[in-house]
Amino acid sequence: MEYIEFKLNGDNMKYEGDASDRLLDVLRDTYKLTGVKCGCKEGECGACSVIIDGRLANSCMIAMGSIQGSDVMTIEGFSKTERFKVIDKAYGDVSAVQCGYCIPGMVLATECILGKNPHPTETDIRRGISGNLCRCTGYNSIVKAIGNAAKEGEGLW
Amino acid sequence: MVKLNNGYVPETIDEALAIMRDEKVKPYSGGTDLMIEGEEGISYLFLNKIPELKVITQDHDYIKIGAECTFTDIEESDVAPQILKDAISELAGPAIRNFATIGGNIGNGSAKADSALILFVTDSLIRLRGADSERTIYIKDFYKQRKQLDLKEGELIIEVLIPKRYLKNYYYKKIGTRKALAISRVSFAGLFHEENGVITHLATAFGAVEPTIVRHSEIDGMFIGKTISEAKSLKDNYVNAYDNAMNPSAGRVSKEYRKTVCINLLKDFLGVNGI
Amino acid sequence: MEKIGKSVVKKDHAAKISGVAKYIADYPTDGILHGKFLRSTIAHANIKNITVPELPDGYMIVNKDDVLGENKVHIVLEDMPVFAIDTVEYIGDPILMVLGLDENKVEDIVSKIVVDYEELPAVLDMTKSEVAFFDYHLSKGDVDKSFEDADRVYDEVINTGYNEHIYLETNGMIADYHDGKVTVSGSMQCPYYILKAVQLATGLEKDKVQVKGETTGGGFGGKEDYPSILACQVAVASMKAKKPVRVIFDRREDITSTSKRHPSTARYRAAIKDGKITAMDINIIYDAGAYSTLSAVVLQRGVICANGVYKIENLRVHGKANKTNTVPKGAFRGFGAPQVFFDVELFMNHIAKGEERNSIDFKKEHMVMQGDATSTNGKFHFHVPLNEMIKEAEDLSNYKEKKELYDKPQTGRFRRGIGMALAFHGAGFTGSGERDLIKAVLKLKKHQSGIVEILSANTEMGQGLHTTLSKIAGKELGIPFDEIILSNPDTDEVPDSGPTVASRSLMIVGELVRRAAARLKDEWIDGEEQIIEEHYKHPDFLIPFSLDNFRGDAYPTYSWSVQVMEVEIDMLTGQHNVLGAYGSFDVGTPIDMNIVVGQMEGGMLQGIGYSSMEYMDHDNKGRIRNNSMSDYIIPTAMDIPVIKVQVHVAEYPEGPYGAKGAGELPTVGVAAAYIEAVEQALGKNIDHIPFTVEDTMKTICSKED
Repeated sequence: MEYIEFKLNGDNMKYEGDASDRLLDVLRDTYKLTGVKCGCKEGECGACSVIIDGRLANSCMIAMGSIQGSDVMTIEGFSKTERFKVIDKAYGDVSAVQCGYCIPGMVLATECILGKNPHPTETDIRRGISGNLCRCTGYNSIVKAIGNAAKEGEGLW
Repeated sequence: MVKLNNGYVPETIDEALAIMRDEKVKPYSGGTDLMIEGEEGISYLFLNKIPELKVITQDHDYIKIGAECTFTDIEESDVAPQILKDAISELAGPAIRNFATIGGNIGNGSAKADSALILFVTDSLIRLRGADSERTIYIKDFYKQRKQLDLKEGELIIEVLIPKRYLKNYYYKKIGTRKALAISRVSFAGLFHEENGVITHLATAFGAVEPTIVRHSEIDGMFIGKTISEAKSLKDNYVNAYDNAMNPSAGRVSKEYRKTVCINLLKDFLGVNGI
Repeated sequence: MEKIGKSVVKKDHAAKISGVAKYIADYPTDGILHGKFLRSTIAHANIKNITVPELPDGYMIVNKDDVLGENKVHIVLEDMPVFAIDTVEYIGDPILMVLGLDENKVEDIVSKIVVDYEELPAVLDMTKSEVAFFDYHLSKGDVDKSFEDADRVYDEVINTGYNEHIYLETNGMIADYHDGKVTVSGSMQCPYYILKAVQLATGLEKDKVQVKGETTGGGFGGKEDYPSILACQVAVASMKAKKPVRVIFDRREDITSTSKRHPSTARYRAAIKDGKITAMDINIIYDAGAYSTLSAVVLQRGVICANGVYKIENLRVHGKANKTNTVPKGAFRGFGAPQVFFDVELFMNHIAKGEERNSIDFKKEHMVMQGDATSTNGKFHFHVPLNEMIKEAEDLSNYKEKKELYDKPQTGRFRRGIGMALAFHGAGFTGSGERDLIKAVLKLKKHQSGIVEILSANTEMGQGLHTTLSKIAGKELGIPFDEIILSNPDTDEVPDSGPTVASRSLMIVGELVRRAAARLKDEWIDGEEQIIEEHYKHPDFLIPFSLDNFRGDAYPTYSWSVQVMEVEIDMLTGQHNVLGAYGSFDVGTPIDMNIVVGQMEGGMLQGIGYSSMEYMDHDNKGRIRNNSMSDYIIPTAMDIPVIKVQVHVAEYPEGPYGAKGAGELPTVGVAAAYIEAVEQALGKNIDHIPFTVEDTMKTICSKED
């Protein structure tokens, strides 16, 4: 049996399906990780964001074969970290979560922004979430939350 | 090399080319175009784990970028040219740039491809290999017609070679649908070099306006060897030549819009360079 | 004592941010049949024949013959069938559903069905339609005489386009028919609307239909009427299959076949005498699409608000909602008002230019004040804070200095403009709708333990309602808001407190919560379970409204906005760069400041999209070509970085702690401010939205002719 070996939220996985299967579908249907959302299936909205080998990815645009040997993290895995706690509080304090559908993706994008640059400017932040669409907030509160997380999380990133 | 259900993950170029020769596979670079269609039951040849294809180097004449370099790799490289970085920085969003590759962008064959425009204006080369063959051709010869490439059976794009000589003074403008996640409506790139008041190089290319990227080096040649003041007197001829040569397609925007904006940008490019 | 407006961490924050909150598509699908629609590919046709391929075991078709109740979807009228009968009226009209366990197989079967259409002429231009679903006339004073006596007459035609919600979560519904009862769960704004519709379609009694509103990923009105349609379809399917049925739309299906904002065309005429407007004569057509859905009420709001914030004593408004063979239009934040507020504010700007007057001064001379009559001879019973809010918006944006600066001739590549627009939003249902149609009932349940639970049918779709209602109950009872229970609505458990629409939930239902909580506090008995029931009371001060002649108070009160947009145009490419979006908003007392500001910012951004980049249209076959996220362009975080909001408070005594409806207001007034800015930058008048990059280039080129 040829299976795809990869790490999912720290656990070793063996996926037995097709290499052409879509990571988004596999995460949601096979591994029941429904925190990863589907907004468009075309890589245009970021609701399906995950982190692969430390980089932000649209899981709807990833075929399983391409993550052979890779490390995948979803919101379920990230929400167990210290960094998440800081981001969680920052978003909560400015009520950046409205309908919530874009939020798991935004949180992972936040982690990638701060992971690359612990003291981002507002432009850096907006650029970092430019692939995550939000229809509710107008983005201001999310941008503010990320800036606050950077300040509060001094030393974590 | 790892064999999967309906997929292969080679570790070297030779492994990849052998599979291309022997099996019915579709090359998969970053997946960001292929997965939009999301064909089922197709056998992919995953190229993203081949280190040889992810190298960015330079020699005396060229900057060489491996086909599997993602746009993020290019953005973060000290070696990649700034004009290419500018074009890439406006492409899609971070998650796409993390996975989309320059090879895939070219391999899509679209005149809207942001990186391809830069390769055209720089008169770049593209190196292709099959299991038993190798060739290096100009990028403009690689694009035959709309979405049709001179890619032979069993061939893979290995790297692009960007001539270093005239990269410093460039003009780049992309008109997308918004400031991120934007498909090009019109894009333009220009290079200009003068030495002791004489124009030694001028190159322009237009993307997203015709079925293939527009590059008329013969028209650009009008200015080579001329002084700035000579060029000024030739400006109208030059612009008219482009006006006549260009035949934009209608798409999400009209031909008129495309033509008008192309000419505007062309004039602006000349203007910032003193013409 | 702490003000209620002090921001809190929202109740739904934790579940949503950790990915734990379940939306309808997140529920396990074992044993559930997936449903996919076969939709019409022709705008108008008779269905002559349908050839279905042989179906594997466990796969079935659901169509009009399977509707056990009436093949009608109750929205306002009942002209839309659950499944097409013998005709299709628009591209996307659902003909039948294919059901089965494997989604891919279901899709494959749909693709193999052959429909034999007999094509009929399709009406795609609203101005050429001969069918008006609704036709309303509003008239007061002597309009004709005013025009006869006028010094000058202004006459303009103004158009507005499509607008699509792009809630990040597409429509989705699951129906489970078992033991004679059907339970429908999904993404929705109005559980009781769905209950009524499903009753009609299934023929089941009220106690045999249960509707559960799941966590909803955005609505904006797009899930006001549409879910009733989908719910009927899945309920019928589940009854046939005797198994649960699940339909989750993919994005393209959602974009092309669900409700949109009504495109409109309007002719505005104004009579000027001695420098003042003495009369307006307005004709509006809304493109209703193929079925009537909510067009009656959208049109009513459009007609009532057509003259904007201005006192026009001689007023005639004629509005029609015309049928076209295009996707049925519905509710979208503002609900008919964004169109007419764009029209009237643009018109006023142009009149001011024509009269060589400063636009704000000219507008101020015509603005209503407290005590003035409304367009329908109701009254502005409460303070109209526009003058103060204009000053606030001016200060926020540096409007005056910039307007003066940008009025000077501009010659560079980048040219700037700034615009200001005034608007109101009448909160709550039009006229006596709350009293006669909705009759909201709200319950508070005090458990034996002392835990208090709010029983309301209103949904949390991101607007923070579960938090604000809990804050109101908590404040009244002296209980921390996060100890108040408020679950997603289940019609088996909650009374009908009305739909989550019309910016009514906080103002109307919130007040019911407050009164119930106050009563509970008075009547509290420790250790006993208590239920307090509160019924809607129509405010006494309201002048009765009649739709027959459009007279009376259409709305109990108004929320107000003054918005400023600063835009820069690249004259070489036609591209827009929004330098700043500013607004002063009065929604009465903010029940939570962060929530109010978040709504204002989000609503403004939607309005900016509506003005510029969100272009959508049908082609000459009636097809919507902008059918994906890459083709229907909404703003990203990089597009409009400067949005500044100021909250102005003019309390409404009948609203909870003085609160008024807030949700729709910020979208209503944006477009005219945006376009005024673009007009200043280009030095030319504009007559439509969305005003795209290509429109801009055309105007730039024509200017040079």
